[in-house]
Amino acid sequence: MQLTQKNIKNNNLLLNIHNLNVFFKTPEGISHVVKDANFNLKKGTCLGVVGESGSGKTQTFFSITGLLANNGYVEGEAFFKDTNLITCDDETRRGFLGKSIGFIFQDPMTSLTPHLNIGDQLAEIAIYHKKINKNKALKKAIEVMDIVKLPSNRDIINSYPHELSGGMKQRIMIAISLMCEPDLIIADEPTTALDVTTQAEILNIFNDLKNNFNIGLVLISHNIGVIAETSNEVLVMKDGQILESGETAKVLTKPKNEYTKHLLSCIPPWIGN
Amino acid sequence: MRITMIKFITKRILIAIPTLLIIVAFSFSMMRVAPGGPFTNERALPPEIERNIKAAYNLDKPVYEQFYIYIKNLTKGDFGPSFKYKDFSVKELILNGLPVSVTLGLSSIIISLFIGSFLGIIAAINRNTVFDYSVMGVSLVGICVPSFVMAPLLSLFFSLYLGILPTSGWNNGNILNLILPITALSLPQIAVISRMMRASTIEVLNSNFIRTAKSKGLNQSYIIRKHVIRASILPIIEYLAPASAGLMTGSIIIEQIFGLPGIGRYFVVGALQRDYTLVSGVLILYASLLIFLILITDIIRAILDPRVKI
Ligand SMILES: Nc1ncnc2c1ncn2[C@@H]1O[C@H](COP(=O)(O)OP(=O)(O)O)[C@@H](O)[C@H]1O
Ligand SMILES: [Mg+2]
Repeated sequence: MQLTQKNIKNNNLLLNIHNLNVFFKTPEGISHVVKDANFNLKKGTCLGVVGESGSGKTQTFFSITGLLANNGYVEGEAFFKDTNLITCDDETRRGFLGKSIGFIFQDPMTSLTPHLNIGDQLAEIAIYHKKINKNKALKKAIEVMDIVKLPSNRDIINSYPHELSGGMKQRIMIAISLMCEPDLIIADEPTTALDVTTQAEILNIFNDLKNNFNIGLVLISHNIGVIAETSNEVLVMKDGQILESGETAKVLTKPKNEYTKHLLSCIPPWIGN
Repeated sequence: MRITMIKFITKRILIAIPTLLIIVAFSFSMMRVAPGGPFTNERALPPEIERNIKAAYNLDKPVYEQFYIYIKNLTKGDFGPSFKYKDFSVKELILNGLPVSVTLGLSSIIISLFIGSFLGIIAAINRNTVFDYSVMGVSLVGICVPSFVMAPLLSLFFSLYLGILPTSGWNNGNILNLILPITALSLPQIAVISRMMRASTIEVLNSNFIRTAKSKGLNQSYIIRKHVIRASILPIIEYLAPASAGLMTGSIIIEQIFGLPGIGRYFVVGALQRDYTLVSGVLILYASLLIFLILITDIIRAILDPRVKI
């Protein structure tokens, strides 16, 4: 506790997670899917989270952003700057979400509202949080579309999600998260649903964001190659536990844990170094 | 958009014409197949009088010619004379009953739509709470009890027992006279619509795009208004045409029970007394109304859901 209090004084620190536990009530009883997670994230750095599917990566970050399913609950501390996201009221948490914390999901095909056009979905977040008018919000939308390398023209603004490709939708999702100039972006398997070329382009965007905008980035992936390319630090998760954590270069070159070694043996040799 | 819309509507109207023609032919032949005729009486008429009457209504001509004459008159907007209400044309009778039936039907559909959707959304947001269970429980009763059972029960309780509402009559559309028939007609629809709306809202609430909306930090009422309703109302819009058909058949009975001078009453009387032209006329009206409603439904759907191409 003392330690936590001191850490949050460090204003480079964005996220400070302490003894985080996530549970689900199920018909078979209570299942414990994240066990005593502890980690930090600094501004301008990227934290990679790897682990096989079902290891608790997604639920870790859903739990601190209030996105858990109805049967889930969370214990522990999750400081964003100096607010504990676990104990603060819903309104305070909503004040951070979308404004200072952006979330990008795995499945771009279904993550946008089908009956609203792209302009509306980009603009609403700025109108809602910053109380600006729609014209200003749309100007901002054009700006962020440029950052995610979308042609910043009216055609896309006026189109509907079903008219765009998966890669374009994921760029829109990233653009949405950038509308209010956030401090933290959590990207949950942002490239898993995309083809390889598009994957590389999207990862480049994340690299730019981290380097040029001083954004803290959490990049979740079951693909250790993706993590190796982008992250400064890495968490290796299995069955809800963080098995190993540290600087990406160190963990990937001299893994201590058997499971990490196993994961590394699964990536083709031309990725890495 | 506007041009495709006009094209679409024109196309649908053109398709509606043969549909209506088939319906007319069907009702025409059904009526002829049924035993007896409009002038069959307990006591047989003298043959020469019967011949005269039949000639006056063209019933002495072969059936195909009768059909041809009927269709020809229809295109001129003439539904023919009523066989039973001697001094009235079918058109006059329909225009007479239409305001009553339209008031009844339109109020019922609007009330069912609003109350049903509202209850469904609230139940979905508060699912597995007392509110949810009560709405679903009551609606189950509403679905199981048909309106011809509900109507006498309502009138027994509110008119005879409490004495606060009139048992029957139109009374120039006095609101007090409308409450019971509209309630009896709407309850089953409210029940169905609230259940459909609950199910579709729950599905939408669990969808990925609502998770995105939550991750944007938007509050619940904003999310419901902007992201949920337009998606979850779509199945209800599709249900609008079948619901209206249900209301039409329901109103035939309800108009009888509450003694309302609507079209439904003419339909029943006409069918019982072999009033060929009256039955066909009412049937054509019902069919056109339904076709029109289905068209409206498709237009609303296209407006609500950009994925629907018309
Ligand atoms: N609503 C829920 N109820 C019960 N168990 C759940 C629920 N959501 C997720 N889980 C379980 O939590 C575990 C962790 O899931 P998750 O964090 O999504 O894994 P991943 O590492 O693939 O992102 C999985 O075993 C999953 O089955
Ligand atoms: Mg996941």
